[in-house]
Amino acid sequence: MRATTAGRASSKRSLGKGLAFIFVSILALIWLVPIIMMLVVSFMPPDQRAPRFGGLLISGVSLRNYETIFADTAVIRHFINSAAVTIPSVALVVIISSLAAFALARLKFLARDIWFYLLIMTLMLPIPTLVVPIFQINKALGLNDNYLGLILPYTALGVPFAIVILRSFFANFPIEIEEAARLDGCTRFGIYWRIMMPVSWPAVAVVIIWQFMTSWNEFILALVTMNSVDVKPLTLVPLVYSGQFLMRPGPMFAILTLITLPVIVVYYLMQRFMVSGLTAGAVRG
Amino acid sequence: MNPASNTRNWLIDNQGLFFMAPAMILFIVFVLYPILYIFNASMYDWDGINEAIYVGVQNYIEMFTDDRVFAVSIRNSVYWTFLTIFPQMFLGFILAYILTSGVPLQNVFRIIFFMPAIVSPVVLGIVWQRIYAPFGGLLADLGREIGAMFLIQPYIADPKIAIFSTIFVNVWQWTGFSMLMYVAGLQGLSGEVLSAAEVDGAGARQRIHYIILPMLRHVHLTLILLGVIGTLQTFALVFMLTKGGPNHASEMLPTYIFQKAFTLQSMGYASAVAVVLLVIALSASIFQVRVLGSRFTIGS
Repeated sequence: MRATTAGRASSKRSLGKGLAFIFVSILALIWLVPIIMMLVVSFMPPDQRAPRFGGLLISGVSLRNYETIFADTAVIRHFINSAAVTIPSVALVVIISSLAAFALARLKFLARDIWFYLLIMTLMLPIPTLVVPIFQINKALGLNDNYLGLILPYTALGVPFAIVILRSFFANFPIEIEEAARLDGCTRFGIYWRIMMPVSWPAVAVVIIWQFMTSWNEFILALVTMNSVDVKPLTLVPLVYSGQFLMRPGPMFAILTLITLPVIVVYYLMQRFMVSGLTAGAVRG
Repeated sequence: MNPASNTRNWLIDNQGLFFMAPAMILFIVFVLYPILYIFNASMYDWDGINEAIYVGVQNYIEMFTDDRVFAVSIRNSVYWTFLTIFPQMFLGFILAYILTSGVPLQNVFRIIFFMPAIVSPVVLGIVWQRIYAPFGGLLADLGREIGAMFLIQPYIADPKIAIFSTIFVNVWQWTGFSMLMYVAGLQGLSGEVLSAAEVDGAGARQRIHYIILPMLRHVHLTLILLGVIGTLQTFALVFMLTKGGPNHASEMLPTYIFQKAFTLQSMGYASAVAVVLLVIALSASIFQVRVLGSRFTIGS
């Protein structure tokens, strides 16, 4: 009697699991349509004039669109601009936020909690509220059309989230190890640099992915800061060439694919840290 | 004790300030100063180039009494808040529940659903223009092919539905993020409580309703907090998909600020709108953090 009930329950459960699998499979296919469309249209042969179904059905596969954008636009230049803004801001965020998070988690100093709350407040600010003053600050400092005009604000706006992630990671570090190191004459900086940072790479990985994605994809500050075509990052390229490419989806979608590729690669390489990192203290690696 | 050694001791006791210094400086220059700046600039009639004229609270009076676009932006923000946050949470939870139950390929599915969240809204805006396009667009062609004429709509050309078409894209983009937060929350739940409930004969629906959802309270609160902030800083998707149009029908506060400041050269008025946006964002967030206990991460 018990056995049959259990058997029925388990077959009911595997039926439920099967239905759930079918449900997520269908939904996942629908979910991917816009991304697949972006890829497919970017490989559309240039002689196909009127793509149907938004371009999901193409008459053949061609690399001509990619040849076109590399030949007719300074797309490599824009790619380098994006990297020249993103990479320094990621590096600066990791250094600056880990120093601050260490102090906030492990040291006592003047007005510590006030500083923490002020920094957290930044997370609540809609970035578009700051766009007018940041534009004027950059103008005053001569940083419009300059990589630093984006690197510095991206870093400033990225540091608070990174501090939240790293601080809870540092706060959970065993105090005994720190005390032992102190007895051996290790300085505070030594504890930060030689003991805590090397074991904090899961949290640092999350900070890197997050800052990479936000800096690479950032749009509104780039739009107002970079006026000269030479320094525009990739996200502005669709606007720059929209006149030329408006009637030609192929090259436009090749550019969109190029904008998207680096974030997908970085996310894919580091995604296994994402769940544990977002929960910060809750799930520790 | 002499003053020099006093200072030295103070510095040793407060050496955390050295660790904090770079973060503090960036905060002061790029966050604190800009906040004070917009409060000040909002009191002026200023084109950003010529001498600014002090007008007191005139910009605010105009905004609240005689500015249709501002009113539309506020209304759209309310739509956006409710129509993104709750569908995202609902669908995100269902996906997370299924994708932590041991179905095949669950890690692949998680990556697929999260993928739109990492793609630039600039890219998504252009791609969705082609999905929504009335001629040669995906939905319209699909509707003609299978005879589902309701799929042929002026999705972004009709002022009545443009904002909802934009909101739909946003839900699609961010549901995977809600899913990921719920996955993390579900993995953090104690297995003992759940299996105890199962032994007591609680069915799946009862377990979800009485045990799992209440235990994920902190995840719900985090998602609402992030959803409100996300709504209030929506810019790129609207800018690329509808440009806030047609005739401002899908305008949001950030696109309106941009238009006032950089297209119409009204830096003072744009700053006043920014102040209102800032006050809304801060009061909503502080309310959620202080009263509801929301946090920015779902861990400790």
